[in-house]
Amino acid sequence: MIELLNVRKVFNAGSPSEFSAINGVNLNIAENKVTVLKGPSGSGKTTLLSIVGCMSRPSAGRVKLQDREITSLPERFLTDIRRKTFGFIFQQPNLIKGISVLENVMLPAYPLGEKRSELKVRALNGLDKLNLSSKAASKVEWLSGGEAQRVAIVRALINDPQIIIADEPTAHLDTKLSYRFMEIVDQFKAQGKTVIITSHDPLVYDSSIVDDVVNLRDGRLEDGPK
Amino acid sequence: MILNPTVIANLLASYVSSGMLIYAAYYGAQILKYWNIESGDELQLVLERKTYLISTVLSFVFGLQLLSLFLYIFTADALAPLFVGAMCGAGTLNVNGFGYPTLELKILNFILAGLWLVLNHADNQGYDYPLIKKKYLLLVVITPFIAVETVLESFYFLGMRADVITSCCGSLFSSEKAEGLGSEIASLPAKQMLWVFYGGMLVTLLSGLFFYVKRKGGYLYAGMSLAMFGISLVAIVSAISLYIYELPTHHCPFCIIMQDYNYIGYLLYVLLFGAVVTGMGSGLLLPFRGIHSLKQVLDDFIGKLALASVLLYALFTAVVSYQIVSSSLEISYEVIY
Repeated sequence: MIELLNVRKVFNAGSPSEFSAINGVNLNIAENKVTVLKGPSGSGKTTLLSIVGCMSRPSAGRVKLQDREITSLPERFLTDIRRKTFGFIFQQPNLIKGISVLENVMLPAYPLGEKRSELKVRALNGLDKLNLSSKAASKVEWLSGGEAQRVAIVRALINDPQIIIADEPTAHLDTKLSYRFMEIVDQFKAQGKTVIITSHDPLVYDSSIVDDVVNLRDGRLEDGPK
Repeated sequence: MILNPTVIANLLASYVSSGMLIYAAYYGAQILKYWNIESGDELQLVLERKTYLISTVLSFVFGLQLLSLFLYIFTADALAPLFVGAMCGAGTLNVNGFGYPTLELKILNFILAGLWLVLNHADNQGYDYPLIKKKYLLLVVITPFIAVETVLESFYFLGMRADVITSCCGSLFSSEKAEGLGSEIASLPAKQMLWVFYGGMLVTLLSGLFFYVKRKGGYLYAGMSLAMFGISLVAIVSAISLYIYELPTHHCPFCIIMQDYNYIGYLLYVLLFGAVVTGMGSGLLLPFRGIHSLKQVLDDFIGKLALASVLLYALFTAVVSYQIVSSSLEISYEVIY
């Protein structure tokens, strides 16, 4: 489904602070599977994830999404792919303060121009699935860490993406909430979605629902998928 | 040099445009040489990123180039009171040998810049840079013309001397004078020229509408729109201007931009230049309709260009017709020199 061909990412190229975060990575990420990118801090997990999710471009190499080469796409086409294909869950929930939970969830769908009433129904259904219906009208400042994380998950799903990308999703969750997160990931898998997670949390990469673990160190693959 | 705000604006616009164009042409040459969308090399990815910057910069530069033609005409008109003998822009452009060549190049570059903008817009509709080499090839062709224009414009403005006695438009565009292109055009018979103008315009508009509706005959319309541009310019000098001035002997294409004539010249020229660029632009894009990534969008864009061109020519004809009908001048017979 996602194919990385000799991908490199260099920051501050040509300057004394030049840093090569990804060095010639070749990788295939399978469809409808849960893949974990595992490695210590600074190994290039998040950089690789941002390239896969079309949030940044590689310095060299290509990325193919369902056999379509996407790294060369002009920005406006890339935006469209990012919006419709990927759902992003970050380390921090990154919710927008000052507006309600419901508004936060609906935000990524606004550019698609869907009728507001229909969008609202979908957003409420999404919140209901993760037991957050009662929080729809609440301001995000009032949420607990676990609730905020679940709202972020509902927001990531609002455009019904085929691929869900999660960057260290359990980094700020306790053990109970981390297990709850993995249960939700299992539901994604059951729905036929592809999930890519970066983590160095054993609770994540040792989970039975994970299909492939990719080990990264110093921007290189240590070995093939598990 | 005459230190006038309009002169400084003209020169600044030219220097900024030329500087940016030369920078862009350098990368354009690199793209022509090294571009390979199949490759994942670092250079290819750098070029992909650069092309956003370059095409954005060029959109502004060529937009400035379109405006600079009218700024140049405006400046020539505004400076006329400073030169003995000059009654309008025609005389100002004649104060040295660089005024008219600069104007001719500005007209040519206006059309080329317009066509580049059309090509760039079409290229931006495709996900795989379908016209990138074509548009940068056109850029590499245009850049020397704009650089030469800047040099000539510099010689023109920097070489202006206030003590020069120049010719007035009555002399430059006289139907009684035997020499010079302006006089030769002015001496064409007005009535016959109007027949040619209206006949040509009718054929052009019909071919444009046929192309818009049937999507056939696009090259014919592009050619017709260019031919009609030339015919219209000739018609302005030899016939249309007479009705605007209500004088059977005054053929100047510059006085019509003056306040005395409600700046009608600006409107006529904007319509005319807009029509030729959109008309030729529609023809320019025709060979690329089969490109996979443009199939969905290009036909619609070509249709819009053709329709815009037809409407602009129709509006131009309407304004010209209004000027003729509302004029007190009646040409019952003409003396042909």
